[in-house]
Amino acid sequence: MKFAVSLNSNDSISDAVKKSIELDRLGLDYVWVSDLPSQRYAPAVCAAIAKVTSKIRIGLGLISPFLHTSQQIASSLTTLIESYGSRFDLCIGPGDRDELYRVGVDLKNHKNISQSLLNSREEISTLFQKRGIESRIWLGAQGPKLLKLVSAFDGVLLNYSSIEMIEWSLNTMKEVIDIPRSIGIFSPSYVYKKINPKIQKTLHYTAATVALGTSKTVLKEFLLDEGLEPARIAHKSKSLDESILKLIPQNIIKKFSIFISQDELPNYIQELKRLGVEHVAFSYPQGYSLETIKELSEGLSKL
Amino acid sequence: MHLSIGLTTSISTNRMKWIYENADNLRLHGLWIGEDIGRPQEIFTSTALLLLNTKKVNIGIGVTSPLIRNITTIARASSTLSEIAPDRFRMGLGIGGIQDLTSLGIPIKKPVHSMERAVEILRTIWANNVNSISNEEFGIHNYTAKYSSKYIPIFFGVRGPKLMTLAASIADGVILSGPRQFVEKSIKLIKEKRNSLNLSSEKFHFVLWVPTILIRKNEDLEIVKKTVAIVALDTPDHILEMSGINKSEIFLIRSEMKAHGIEKVAEKIPDRIIDLLCISGDADEICDKFESYSSLGIQEVVFGPPYGKDARKSMAQVAQTWSKSS
Repeated sequence: MKFAVSLNSNDSISDAVKKSIELDRLGLDYVWVSDLPSQRYAPAVCAAIAKVTSKIRIGLGLISPFLHTSQQIASSLTTLIESYGSRFDLCIGPGDRDELYRVGVDLKNHKNISQSLLNSREEISTLFQKRGIESRIWLGAQGPKLLKLVSAFDGVLLNYSSIEMIEWSLNTMKEVIDIPRSIGIFSPSYVYKKINPKIQKTLHYTAATVALGTSKTVLKEFLLDEGLEPARIAHKSKSLDESILKLIPQNIIKKFSIFISQDELPNYIQELKRLGVEHVAFSYPQGYSLETIKELSEGLSKL
Repeated sequence: MHLSIGLTTSISTNRMKWIYENADNLRLHGLWIGEDIGRPQEIFTSTALLLLNTKKVNIGIGVTSPLIRNITTIARASSTLSEIAPDRFRMGLGIGGIQDLTSLGIPIKKPVHSMERAVEILRTIWANNVNSISNEEFGIHNYTAKYSSKYIPIFFGVRGPKLMTLAASIADGVILSGPRQFVEKSIKLIKEKRNSLNLSSEKFHFVLWVPTILIRKNEDLEIVKKTVAIVALDTPDHILEMSGINKSEIFLIRSEMKAHGIEKVAEKIPDRIIDLLCISGDADEICDKFESYSSLGIQEVVFGPPYGKDARKSMAQVAQTWSKSS
């Protein structure tokens, strides 16, 4: 099992660097840096992290091929790998619809998102081969259509945390492939020693963001659609805020986040292992501070 | 006047590494990296490496096109680079080569308008002093950047008179490339425009970046001639006109090159054309030629590529000679 922390590129460069040094020192396997249209440019953040770390693998992603060309994504990885060695992975996926729309990329205009992703994966892979670059390419996926693409990728990072939903994803994948590739999850997380209400609130926001971005098919499958509807309607006219958060039932927040104590972590990981999950990326707010990183590391040491 | 070194995203990682490892010690003013579209290195990631691995030199992108990326990506990438090394990053913009843009399926419509809007939106995003930004032209709807930047100087790498005039009014500097007469006329044009706008030309930075080659032996002339043949192929006609170059002579080089290839045409290139289209010679001669541009108003000169037969030695030698003479 590999363990990762996904840093928010909302962090300043110096904070991202400090946290990565700590993750490297604590022996975490991966640090993921997501590329969001409103935040810092992830490949440059990865370069800063690579310069100050030596062992930890660095994941660029999720990065959207609907915002960057395959050539640009492949070239970023080429520059990083040629300079700092083969310790980089890539995760591509469509990205956050709302965020993309705000910068002029309307996914509604893309007739076949799945095919576009497959094409990007192929183009990136061809460029890697041509340049002698070795890097695993993961698919960041959640909905049933994307899950069916998994066989074309080196692995999948599922945007789920609940055992029930992960199990459903694996069954959906098994409809098209016999042997799943590397299976990982990335989810808003807070593994704590003692609950900090501020971080718990942040977790609620990130979990709500994931829930609101989840496809209706998935929500219906788990009977979450009706509960989320009032928040979905409110979210159409404004960004996620406290008033929208209040509309989301706690069971939904819980479904879309890892919120457990250090002592509860071993059982959860055991369940994931049983399902065949081999990569867990603890996303924001787990990487909120050096303290929250330490809390996770202590939890992992209990495994 | 300052000396910088130029490179592009076609460069090998090893050479780039050598450059950033030596840039501070060579007492360079800066490094400029240009984007060769479709080449293995990525411009913003490469620039991050240059900034992360140097302490003193200025690092500039010279240039990338605002047409080949989402403008918000250019904004946040530049902002991230500026955060890595505050006060050392310079952003260069140019429309891009027609062939490159065509190959990407990007039509060039109203380049002056595109550059003007690009600068406007970049500066608005960087300032980040409004709640959210919307811009129909770029398809931006209620965009809020979760970062802000210190002031990032914008340089234009342009050659047409209209874009040059635009640079005079909205940019912080310009990277000029072309024969001496063209450079002289461009500086004059920009200064006149700035005077008409009551803008001080002292605050405007003129950079000269032309192909430069260090010659050690006679056989090095071969690189010079090949470089000149390629430059002749790429130089727009209006620059030839502005430079007083006999166009028929250049047309002949172009047609010979198409018919017989670069090897054959290189042999026939006259010395006069070489002197017009590139800067070459031994280290002293190159530094003298660079220095001669100071009287025109150039404040910074960029050495290379193609540098010379041994690129690393050539860079080191020119930098050391420059350092001694200044």
